[in-house]
Amino acid sequence: MNQKERRKERLDRGIKVRCDGIYALMSLKEISYLVLPRLLLILVLLLAPILIPGHYWERVLTIVCIYGMLAVAFDFLSHYVGLVSLGGAFFVGVGGYISALLNTHVGLHPFLAIPIATILGALICTLLLMPCLPLRGVYFAIATLLYPLLAARIIEALDIFGGTDGLRGVSGLPGKYTPVYVLIMAALLFIFGLRRLVNEDMGLVLRAVKDNDQSVRASGISVTRYKAIALFLGALGSCFAGAALVHIYMWAGISLFALDFSILPISATVVGGIHTLVGPFIGCLILVPISEALREFGTLRIVFYSLILLAFIVVKSEGLLNYAQRKYHQFERWVEV
Amino acid sequence: MLDAQNLMVFYENMLALNNVTVLCKRGQIVGVFGANSAGKSTMMYTLSGIILDMKKKEEMAGGERITLLGKVVYKGEDISRLKPSLRAKRGLILCPERRRIFIESTVMENLLIGGYLATPKQRKETIDYVFFVYPALRKLSKRIGGFLSGGEQQMLAIGRALMAQPELLLLDEPLMGLSPLIQKVLVTSTRDIRDQRGITILITEQYARPVLPIVDYAYILENGSSVLEGTGQELLSNPDVRSAYFGV
Repeated sequence: MNQKERRKERLDRGIKVRCDGIYALMSLKEISYLVLPRLLLILVLLLAPILIPGHYWERVLTIVCIYGMLAVAFDFLSHYVGLVSLGGAFFVGVGGYISALLNTHVGLHPFLAIPIATILGALICTLLLMPCLPLRGVYFAIATLLYPLLAARIIEALDIFGGTDGLRGVSGLPGKYTPVYVLIMAALLFIFGLRRLVNEDMGLVLRAVKDNDQSVRASGISVTRYKAIALFLGALGSCFAGAALVHIYMWAGISLFALDFSILPISATVVGGIHTLVGPFIGCLILVPISEALREFGTLRIVFYSLILLAFIVVKSEGLLNYAQRKYHQFERWVEV
Repeated sequence: MLDAQNLMVFYENMLALNNVTVLCKRGQIVGVFGANSAGKSTMMYTLSGIILDMKKKEEMAGGERITLLGKVVYKGEDISRLKPSLRAKRGLILCPERRRIFIESTVMENLLIGGYLATPKQRKETIDYVFFVYPALRKLSKRIGGFLSGGEQQMLAIGRALMAQPELLLLDEPLMGLSPLIQKVLVTSTRDIRDQRGITILITEQYARPVLPIVDYAYILENGSSVLEGTGQELLSNPDVRSAYFGV
């Protein structure tokens, strides 16, 4: 048989086949096969603040978590529910402003203001986006893109919430390690919570909504209700990110509605691997530090950043995590035909 | 005309086509029959080269790996690695399954898109010919493609394929979901196209009976393998085939 008569075969590893059913976890080896990759992410995140020298990179890690939560929310909404949302900045802004207002005007402690802002903000976002829910695909994307622009201009024009100056004197989170650990814990909770959710019955309905909402409707399920619930969940994470951001910067302004908060999570999702939920976070873990490290190049930073992004999209459009997952779960060998 | 030798196609580890050899002589109508998932469409994709596109797309997206083995020889030339557009330029035209007409363009526009490769003179002549073979389309030439009925859409799809000046026309399930009456019209017109324009036709279908009268030679696919071949009469006389594919 010559070279041409062979093909590469892809097979699931035996251990994966056995681990697929949760009851098949018989040995330490099988348990660790499932747990190790997850544990690796958790441990790296938890140890990073202690191991990283200097306050600067610790701050970067905090920002990674904030963008990471936005990216995970984007991945969840667009690839599990079919709501491609370009309005990540809107969630950030709403969460951020509510938390800042509660802190400066009502005088709530950040630890009280952030959770309230998270839930209240998610509720408000869901209610405001309700009219857009029947839209699909690019129409929903455009509609959501307008929300942050609208909100920023309203605040500017009406000169409410501090107008263009923003809200000053927002109190920060106390303690040296508190901000970074609060965000790490929240991000992990958000990621693994959503990962569990999409495999539950509800996740089944959500994925069905993405595939074919008419069939879901024909099965007697309210599509709008499920979309609203999904939107609320996505908004929870994003509003939390916004609220935390305000207390880290100790300032809230209309830059919270900036397009960065909509676009960077999307690029992180592409780099990290769509439809994985963890992938987008890993994408942020790569992109945000790169963006920081490129700061010394000044204006050229955007050029390098865009090139890196472009290379990722062109060469590996499936994303890092999808690739890694395949390598982890499957092995390849040449077989003769 | 067309000689496909030992075609093997894997979708990841699934064998979609297993060592299929199809021979198509000039001026023949050759039928390929088989149930769902027998590999008919995969064969059409392989012959027309669309599968190379699918393969590339899957590779980009990290999806399932498509492996192609075997050789497609067309007019004495090995075209196994040729892009679908270049195959179309050489006169190997696919009329895809489920019609795939451009639903937002009018009938006339659909035909003109199909005639992209033809010279203006050929284009004019072929449009007249399409309306001659399918008189129903003439009245509808301003109608939007999506508003046509299934049968009219199929006629349009074949018409569009004819516009590309085929020498070998691949018809993938042209009778799918159509009434027996329309099926009859399409089958007769297929024979007319061969007789009048000298186009070689390779036709796939699930159910062999309506097509069999016009077929010179036929293959039967089962689970990706070619299990039987012969002229229409030879197949009809085989009791297993009769019950499975002719409903007798």
